[in-house]
Amino acid sequence: MYPSAIQNYEAPDSLDGAMAAIAKFGDDAHFIAGGQSLMQAIKSRIIQPQTLIDLQNVQELRTLETAQGVTIGAMVRYRDIAGNAGLDGRLGALRDAASHVGDRQVRNRGTIGGSLCWNFVSACMPTVTLALDPRLTLGSESRGRREVGIDDFLGEPMETDRQEDELLISIFFPQLEGRHGSAYGKWSLLTDGLPVIGVCASVSLDEGNICKSARISVGGLETGPVRFERAEEALVGVAYDDAKSHEGAISIAAEEAEILDDVTGDEEFRRQLIRSVGLKSIVTAFERAAAAGGGQ
Amino acid sequence: MTGQTGTGIGASLPRLEDLPILLGKGKYFADLKRPGQLHVFFLRSVHAHAKIKSIDTRQAEELPGVVAVVTGEMIKNELLPLPQPSGAAGLSGRNPTFWPLAVNKVIFHGEPVVAVVAEDPYIAEDALELIDVDYEPLPYVGDMEAALSPDSPIVHDGWDSNQIFHIDFHSDRSASEHKDYVKRVAELIETAPHVIRQRYRVHRCGVTPMEPRGVLAEWDDSDGLMVWITSQRPHVDRYVFADVMSLPVSKVRVVAPVDQGGGFGVKAAIYREPMLITYLARKLRRPIRWLETREENLMTVGQERDQIHDLELAADENGKIIAARDMGMADAGDGCAGMYWGYNMPLVGAARFPNAFDIPFCEVQMRVAVTNKAVLSPARGLGIYPTRFALDRALDMMSRKIGMEPSVLRRKNLIAELPAKLATGITYDSGDFCKTYDRLIELADLPAFRKQQEAARKEGRYIGFGIGVGAEASGVHSRRYIVNTGTPAYAATDVRIDHRGGVTVYYGDAPHGQSHKTVIAQIVSSELGVSPEDVTVIHGDTQSTPYSTGTVAARGASLVMSSVAVACRELRQKMIRVFAHDHKADPDYGDYEFSDRQIRHRRSDNLRSGFAELAYRIIVNSIDLPPGETGSLEQKAVFENDFGMVSFSAHGAFVEVCSKTGRIKILKYITSDDAGVVLNPQILVGQIEGGVIQGISNFLFEEYVYDENGQQFSTTLSNYKMASAADVPAIDVYHDAGTYCPNTPLGARAMGEGCIGAVPGALGNAISDALQPFGVEIVETPVTPAKILKLIRN
Amino acid sequence: MKRDVTITINGVEHRGNIPIRMLLVDFIRDVAGLTGTHVGCTFEGQCGACTIHLDGEAVKSCLLLAVQCDGKDLTTVEGLGREDALHVLQEEFHRHHALQCGYCTSGMLMNAAEFIKERPDADDDEIRRALVGNICRCTGYTNIVKAISAAAKRSASVWRSADT
Repeated sequence: MYPSAIQNYEAPDSLDGAMAAIAKFGDDAHFIAGGQSLMQAIKSRIIQPQTLIDLQNVQELRTLETAQGVTIGAMVRYRDIAGNAGLDGRLGALRDAASHVGDRQVRNRGTIGGSLCWNFVSACMPTVTLALDPRLTLGSESRGRREVGIDDFLGEPMETDRQEDELLISIFFPQLEGRHGSAYGKWSLLTDGLPVIGVCASVSLDEGNICKSARISVGGLETGPVRFERAEEALVGVAYDDAKSHEGAISIAAEEAEILDDVTGDEEFRRQLIRSVGLKSIVTAFERAAAAGGGQ
Repeated sequence: MTGQTGTGIGASLPRLEDLPILLGKGKYFADLKRPGQLHVFFLRSVHAHAKIKSIDTRQAEELPGVVAVVTGEMIKNELLPLPQPSGAAGLSGRNPTFWPLAVNKVIFHGEPVVAVVAEDPYIAEDALELIDVDYEPLPYVGDMEAALSPDSPIVHDGWDSNQIFHIDFHSDRSASEHKDYVKRVAELIETAPHVIRQRYRVHRCGVTPMEPRGVLAEWDDSDGLMVWITSQRPHVDRYVFADVMSLPVSKVRVVAPVDQGGGFGVKAAIYREPMLITYLARKLRRPIRWLETREENLMTVGQERDQIHDLELAADENGKIIAARDMGMADAGDGCAGMYWGYNMPLVGAARFPNAFDIPFCEVQMRVAVTNKAVLSPARGLGIYPTRFALDRALDMMSRKIGMEPSVLRRKNLIAELPAKLATGITYDSGDFCKTYDRLIELADLPAFRKQQEAARKEGRYIGFGIGVGAEASGVHSRRYIVNTGTPAYAATDVRIDHRGGVTVYYGDAPHGQSHKTVIAQIVSSELGVSPEDVTVIHGDTQSTPYSTGTVAARGASLVMSSVAVACRELRQKMIRVFAHDHKADPDYGDYEFSDRQIRHRRSDNLRSGFAELAYRIIVNSIDLPPGETGSLEQKAVFENDFGMVSFSAHGAFVEVCSKTGRIKILKYITSDDAGVVLNPQILVGQIEGGVIQGISNFLFEEYVYDENGQQFSTTLSNYKMASAADVPAIDVYHDAGTYCPNTPLGARAMGEGCIGAVPGALGNAISDALQPFGVEIVETPVTPAKILKLIRN
Repeated sequence: MKRDVTITINGVEHRGNIPIRMLLVDFIRDVAGLTGTHVGCTFEGQCGACTIHLDGEAVKSCLLLAVQCDGKDLTTVEGLGREDALHVLQEEFHRHHALQCGYCTSGMLMNAAEFIKERPDADDDEIRRALVGNICRCTGYTNIVKAISAAAKRSASVWRSADT
């Protein structure tokens, strides 16, 4: 209900300030981004931070740049992503997800970086970024900046490659040649809820509308979001409108997925959801790619 | 019927309650503050069933800001346990004895074990982490059927079984007559051409309000105990607190705040926490405040339904029901809640089992078990949701068996003549079920739908239509209510006119969203010809209002509003008598009209007076009155009906079910309701829309979940899933096929409680109808997409 | 452990020396004494009754600490309209009977107030989706949707006439 006692609160206004603060306060300090998940944990006292370092005043973390690829600051909110018409085609899945995370109030505060660092087991952003293959920039006071791919960044649920003294600075989607599309869909019992299953598909087409490469990730599994490489391979060489092959590819993911029963849905139901939600994501991703011009 | 002033009975007068709330100036429990108040947090059991070996509170006591740490051992000799006479008249079950804090052992996950009292709520919560309780786990009793078997572990020490309640409804049959009757039921079922035998189950869910519970108590050596509490029944609370603390009733004043954030039954029972808070106020001589957290709320109150019905339904070749046998079973949880004791809900559900149907021979039994779960507590549609589901589903299954359109079979079996008495002894006073039902059928346009359904099936789309009906209590009479909840049912209000013509209505219940202030003002406006702005309603304060049993059981439009009308009519007659006397006119009541703040003779236009003027004359200038007449314009009226009054609803649901994902979409939902004379159409429709959506949310989304060790998993609003606006349809409510109720002075019927009753049948039948190509019959709730897929696969 | 903060609520500055852990909703209710903002959940932030505007945007005040709002500008339901100058949503909620117990109402109003500015043309389905973060237990939502729709149309026409 109420947070346990908090000793320090810092609200740095620069990246350097933020990194200095985490270096200074160490293990018992937590960054707070939008706080829409962290505050739940703090109020339930699962997390009892001694120090909170609030990132809301760090303007560098709030920028979304669409020149030379797309760079999204870690503190860019769902609201900003959902409302950014520039994020279409290749990054359409980002908007699909950001428009339906939680509710309006959550989207007004919640951030992409916060979600990735929290890496909650069935959250949308980890699933989506896993399929979109960005590079993440992290920084710390002592070791400076480094880049890491999303496959390496996301660990087990609630774990990431971010070190305790590190700050996630931005998520970079490099500019790609050719035609690309992505889409994300999810199913939950109540509208816009945390997904029981979420599927993101990202595809690239050649001039003849044949798939050159694909990434498919599924969220809602106990292991956290997972890519299905055999399903991805099955899409390569497939025409953008070959519905039967799309269905075949997602079926591979549905069969391979490791699923445990729980109260929300039994195993067969979840496999079925991967098929139905996943097929829709794949079809939409292909449509977006086919409609896209060259380059991002 | 529109009121004379356009603001009276029958007008959709916008609510008088709204403005302060819309401006953020509502007066809810949590908004109250008393100087020097202390805050309570409860440490609750982490086990479903365990012996308490020891409790170490030393560290918590030492935390700065902590004033007291209290355990069950410390209080058990200082206040009396429940049950007490205040709320136990006529109850027929076996009521467990309990104190506010666990003594010796805990019996459900979430039971209060230790209370911390601190200067600040944040500190109170800090202290909980410093308390150490050593438990020895005991076997968990979690399945109602197993709990009733002779070899089950026992929930309540000293009991020889876990059966808290059993009833075999005799109505007015003697023991030997009943024996023959039961035999006849068995024979009819045995020999009937068509029989449906099926177990139906409705899960644990309820109607938790948005505002959690709260209690603020203050002790004064001369005035006694002052309690502010979120409550539907402040007068009943008052008697209970006086009993438990061995105080004269005059030393206890209970106030339910002017605004309350919903109740739906949850705030009607007597729970553990308020008794402790009132005790602590006296003990510590400081105002003590407890504001329930949502987690506590979901873990301890508001869990309802949870019944199993083994139903046999027999029909003849023409689809006429000839007999039924319903063997019900329910899970009361620990049974520890005053007034309702966990078994009142299943008792009422079973008593009302026959619903609106003419079942010539009907045996109904209900057995209720205690288990290591939170007590079953009241929720809107008290007890009936499971029985409505069972019978309405069985009727559709019977229709299919016979090959008859379900709407036709249902119509054939509706009770056609009222008054009527059910096999369980329940009585229905008046109405026309068939008329209201036929209106639904007309609105639904079934022939057109069946064509669409056939076409859709050819495209692999599955749409379905289902009906549910509810003949529901419109207020309960005392003979029944005393047996159910240990309290009477009559409504008492006190209408007082002041010397400027203002009218104040004092009434002892505690509305919490029912719009009683508005409706009372409309009635007073119609009866006395004043404007609704002239009417003030004081409710919820035991010091100023007459004893009344609470805002429960659809008592509003049936009993409360009737008592207001009766009091107003008495006052009106007195005013006519004095007026006629003063003007040497004939005091024939029918000759006078009250409107526009005036009284006037219908035929002599010069015979008129301002309402305020006449009020002043009688109240202040009270000399030269007619012989035998006294001054004063204050009238208390008690209203009760000793025959069960009834309202009726027929609901029609149109759904589409996706055979691939199991997703259920409600395409359209129509209700046809008999609310008698509608006092305020907008408010009536609002009640029905709200009740129906609650019923839908219960059916599709909400579930209190316990694991195999009795750990509760639905302790947040993320896990206990209540429908948002995006999850439910709009509801089309029709109340144009209603019938005047001859047993209320206004002709109204109350629907607030029962409007949820028809929902599970309508939904269950619609989904089953949609899935007939797969042979699916819904017999268990909740109905989730995962379950639908499973049913389709099998 | 404690911090001095200055938070502007409905145009009035409120100062306090408050524990860092104090929730914003407790600051609003207990320090500023504005009790129109309600609390309906424990820690999960699902019910939406505590919705306010932070720099003009709808947020849940139970998922923020008061110290995070030092120097910020908030609006609560008490700042939405006045008795003699109701906000269009307050009028339409009243007209359409969009509240019963009223506990969720302030949160509904604050969320909707931002939404109808953004989307004055929203249809009923879009309005329903915009309300996912606010649970109402009484009304069944139908009248809330009607009220918001009517308010959106009215305010849109006001803005249109202001444009011309």
